[in-house]
Amino acid sequence: MLGALSDLKIVELGEMVSAPYCTKLFADMGADVLKVERPGVGDRSRTRGPFPNDEVHPEKSGLFLYLNTNKRGVTLDVATPEGFGIFEDLICGADILVHNVPPPEMDRIGLNFDLLQRVNPALIMTSIVPFGLSGPYRSYRSEDLTLWCAGGVCVLNGGGPDHPELPPLKAFGHQAGYQGGVHAATATIAAALARHRGEAGQHVEVSVQESIASQLEMTFEYWPYSRLIATRHGQKPVQPAEMMRCKDGYIYLCCIYEHQWRAFVEIMGNPEWAEEEIFSDGPKRAQNWDALTVFLEEWVSRQSVNDLYRKAQARRVPFAPVSTMRDLLNSEHLQARDFFVDITQPVAGTHKYPGAPVKYSRTPWQIRMPAPTLGQHNAEIFGGQLGMTSARIEELTRNGKI
Amino acid sequence: MAKLPLEGIRVADFSWVWAGPYCTLQLAHLGAEVIRIETKTRPCVTRLLPPWSGGTFDSLNKSGYFNQYNQGKKSLSLNFKHDEAKEVAWRLIKSADVVANNFAASVMDKMGFGYDAIRAVKPDIIMISLLGYGDTGPYRDYVALGPTQVPNSGLSALTGYEGWPPMNAGFSYPDPNAGIHGSFAVMAALHHRAKTGEGQFIDMSQWECTMDLLAEGILEYTMNGREPRRIGNRDPQLSPHGIFRCLDLPEKILDRTIDQWVAIVCADDEEWRRLAHAIGRHELADDARFATLAARKRNENELEAIITEWTSKRHVADIVAALQAAGIAAGACADNKYLAEDPNLAANKYWVELDHPEVGVKRHCGIPWRMSGTPCEVKSPAPLLGQNTDELMTGLLGYSAAEVEALRKKGALD
Repeated sequence: MLGALSDLKIVELGEMVSAPYCTKLFADMGADVLKVERPGVGDRSRTRGPFPNDEVHPEKSGLFLYLNTNKRGVTLDVATPEGFGIFEDLICGADILVHNVPPPEMDRIGLNFDLLQRVNPALIMTSIVPFGLSGPYRSYRSEDLTLWCAGGVCVLNGGGPDHPELPPLKAFGHQAGYQGGVHAATATIAAALARHRGEAGQHVEVSVQESIASQLEMTFEYWPYSRLIATRHGQKPVQPAEMMRCKDGYIYLCCIYEHQWRAFVEIMGNPEWAEEEIFSDGPKRAQNWDALTVFLEEWVSRQSVNDLYRKAQARRVPFAPVSTMRDLLNSEHLQARDFFVDITQPVAGTHKYPGAPVKYSRTPWQIRMPAPTLGQHNAEIFGGQLGMTSARIEELTRNGKI
Repeated sequence: MAKLPLEGIRVADFSWVWAGPYCTLQLAHLGAEVIRIETKTRPCVTRLLPPWSGGTFDSLNKSGYFNQYNQGKKSLSLNFKHDEAKEVAWRLIKSADVVANNFAASVMDKMGFGYDAIRAVKPDIIMISLLGYGDTGPYRDYVALGPTQVPNSGLSALTGYEGWPPMNAGFSYPDPNAGIHGSFAVMAALHHRAKTGEGQFIDMSQWECTMDLLAEGILEYTMNGREPRRIGNRDPQLSPHGIFRCLDLPEKILDRTIDQWVAIVCADDEEWRRLAHAIGRHELADDARFATLAARKRNENELEAIITEWTSKRHVADIVAALQAAGIAAGACADNKYLAEDPNLAANKYWVELDHPEVGVKRHCGIPWRMSGTPCEVKSPAPLLGQNTDELMTGLLGYSAAEVEALRKKGALD
């Protein structure tokens, strides 16, 4: 069975997370994705790990292996005129180019839509850029952390009312990259749909800062609507909605509605303190959270996570465990849904990876091949597809162009 | 004039709160006609939540939260206690390309709008359910909210200050993350339908979709059997890599002092040397304690104290300007006021300021991409509850004015 996107040919000029995650979403649904890496070193994510047995090795990086499934890979130095010429030949046969080359570097190597459109008039080119292709921050240097902060979400996390001295806290990993990538995938597939029904190719520009700012819930609007600055220091509107320690881990307590709180009180065996006036509704429980915490901690600390989770869910109270990685891998639910997938790559071996973001009833998400080793498909692409002689391929390799 | 990518695509949108509406918002941005099925008897939670234009809750149409995530959509208000209202919904479904919902599992089935019922009359429908735990598996009927899937996904165990308990993400991250993955999935299915004529069902689990963002943590366990340690804002391979205190905002807001912070990252030794010069500590540029990544990681507390000493006496805008001029990745840890006044967002015309009947002109977040051939723009402000009921009933859905009147009298249209 073919994936939904098996008719699309994509070239990726990507580093780290955003462009590679964007094209992974396409590749795992069947698209033919060709990844272009720098000769010798490859994508920076190859240095990031985690590595099996902590052995740093460019073919064993967990991050790279995850982000580049189902892609073929070539090496090519697009920063040289000769290399860029070959890059144009690759673009000739593609539907879509996805890249995350920063704007100043785009200028330097001559990567622009007008030029590539002359080479391939039907091309869709997606540029994932930190702050947009224009504007005063166009040339700003950025890293994942600075973009997560620039989008306005990071300032909301960490510290809390008792710890104003603590800095805002980033979420784990490379979240700015992931959000740039999935927002770019959404705009890019839309451009492909437009082209499918007769519109021309086009340039799609995706701002990572804007992709994150678009997820601010009601936070952004607090300024235009109420002239208020949202903060991580304030008290929550209702409680409990907090993590708490059990005897064998942490659980997330969550009683948004009164009936959920009443069910929780029942689970706790209807203790007398729960009937105190100061705990009689969500906002009061939030105001008196310090006092409530003392009672709750005393009871919760004697429970096991799983037991409390199941008791709460049986009464339709949305508690959740604070899952460890081990919990996730051992979850009966995730196993029943075949979420984790084994992927074997000859150098790195076989490991379990996170799987499909959604399940389609008709067109499968599937792993057809592991991430490419550096330059794995040079002969196949440069020789087979572009028709270079082996002597020419050898020469380009010797000169470090591929 | 080029057509927008989803022009002519109609979405029967049963979704509410955040995950589903964020999914269908993208489809509206791209030109789809998104019709939210709402009811006055149980309005979308976000219509009730602050911030409210005018400061107090006196209307279902003044919430900034709702008005942000429902731009460009229409609202059809029905009361499903009446069978006639279900008939209206069926007419809409039959005219639609996509049905979206994020109710708990089984709710659509109980309402009579399950996938099997719908595809029996509309075989090429694309239906997406954005659920906490997904549509199959032993926990299918477990209840979840976006915030519960932050800890459940492993994100909390991975996020936190060194030596501290697990932390949250600061917002209900699994909601918009599910929404945006959902919009991609719907369009992948539309692409398949365009080629084959086949529709399908899309089963999304917010739990799983969040784990797809955590591969580095999960692989640390599957490759090495270790639970990753929480390391705050630091990074194993970049140093400095942190968020540093600046001078507070000069003015107070509601008698409150507003703290300001700057994120600073050096990608290599050369960038550290440039940073040392930029903060006026020339003598540190060649100091062995900080010369290499390994050395900086060993002395990171000291390194961060040195940087804080410089940043804490300056305004964030001055710090960013100085460090960017030196080629260092530095940026404000923006709060909502900062963003609402950000010159870069202004230059890129990111904000949307349309005249809303009850709220007037207010600034909202817009579309995070630009398309040269099919330029997307927000067509209309978020709808008033039931704003489009009459025009949809007598137009698209084919009821006469008299029938509409009768249905309204009966309470089927609320």
